[in-house]
Amino acid sequence: MQELCTQVTNAAEFTVKGPLQSLKFSIGGLDIVISESIVVQWIVIGILAVVFFILGRNLKLRATSRRQMAAEYIVGFFRGMVNDTMGVKYKKYTVYIGALFCMSLVSSLMGLLGLRAPTSDLSVVATWGAITFILTQRNKIKTGGIKGFFKGFVEPMPFMLPFNIIGEIANPVSQSLRHFANILAGSVVGGLIYFALGQVAGGLASIGVPAILSLYFDLFSSFIQAYIFCTLTMAYVSMAECD
Amino acid sequence: MDILSLLRAFDEAAGQPTFSLVDINVDTIVFTLINTGIIVLIYFFFLHKPVCKILDQRAAAVNKDMDDAEKARKEAEAAKDEYEQRLLQSKDEAGKILADATKRAQQRSDEIVSQANAEAAALKQRAEESIERDKKRAVNEIKDEIADMVILAASKVAEKEISAEDNERIIAGELERIGKEN
Repeated sequence: MQELCTQVTNAAEFTVKGPLQSLKFSIGGLDIVISESIVVQWIVIGILAVVFFILGRNLKLRATSRRQMAAEYIVGFFRGMVNDTMGVKYKKYTVYIGALFCMSLVSSLMGLLGLRAPTSDLSVVATWGAITFILTQRNKIKTGGIKGFFKGFVEPMPFMLPFNIIGEIANPVSQSLRHFANILAGSVVGGLIYFALGQVAGGLASIGVPAILSLYFDLFSSFIQAYIFCTLTMAYVSMAECD
Repeated sequence: MDILSLLRAFDEAAGQPTFSLVDINVDTIVFTLINTGIIVLIYFFFLHKPVCKILDQRAAAVNKDMDDAEKARKEAEAAKDEYEQRLLQSKDEAGKILADATKRAQQRSDEIVSQANAEAAALKQRAEESIERDKKRAVNEIKDEIADMVILAASKVAEKEISAEDNERIIAGELERIGKEN
């Protein structure tokens, strides 16, 4: 959290900045800027790869180890989530939802390690929102055909067309903004509290007190936002079914 | 201050530029897409696939166990029925054998008794016959002897002049003697 905030020590000033432009290079005249969010995502990939690899190897027919029980619980959790929200016929979405949940959760939790959570970058979460949008439209075409897809926009009445289009776009946008804003706001509030407590009692007050708030803003909020984002994705995709 | 914050402070001191706080950056979107894809693959191959495989295997094993148990239960029930039937059969057989044996024993005892009765009757008859024969023979002998005695007595009477009273006395005395002898 603290890293978001630049304290200008003399003139008690608090600013919030966007993610750093960590790397810059160009391939074939194409300038590429790697954001801090991407660097942290690579760390997330590393963590998840190690965790998934450890969890998923050496599984036995009889689950005796806690490791295997945890692995089965995680997979069963996502399976249950997809089956309950979307139905069994959408069970192939389990992999995407599971991966999305894990990525979102671990990304948000990166804030606990003092890194900038990638989920507090709108570009990152908007990507997932765009994926949701594409999956939703794809499911519409798949279940209703091209005709049903276009017909869906003029229902129940033709003049609803603009509203339907806005509604379609608003879903992933609101979903993305909610996730991004919750995590960013958590970071900002946490940073503000750090900053404010640092001003009093010679900075001693910033020991311990923010930990309690961090429980909510980092741990709880990370879980809730990942869960909400996945649930909304599932709901949008399965509701897009044309009949 | 942790080491990362220190690094960041260093970066910022070096004037490293940042994106604006609320921004859509195409590069970030592209890399996030790639990273998300990588995580989907990692999740699928490292966790989802092996766990699903083991879960399916377990479901199959459990199904097989349940089927086996059902089969074993049915077999046991069939065996039990068979044993019960056999037990009933053997009970019947035992009863039959017992009844048979009792009947045969009864028959045999009846036979023995009737045979014994017949034998006894035959024995009795034979004894009676022999007694009768002996009696007849004895009577005949007595009769012969009496006749002899009478002839003897008569001849004695004839030897002497004997009165009627003497005759009677002599005869009576002879008869008595005969009676004593016999």
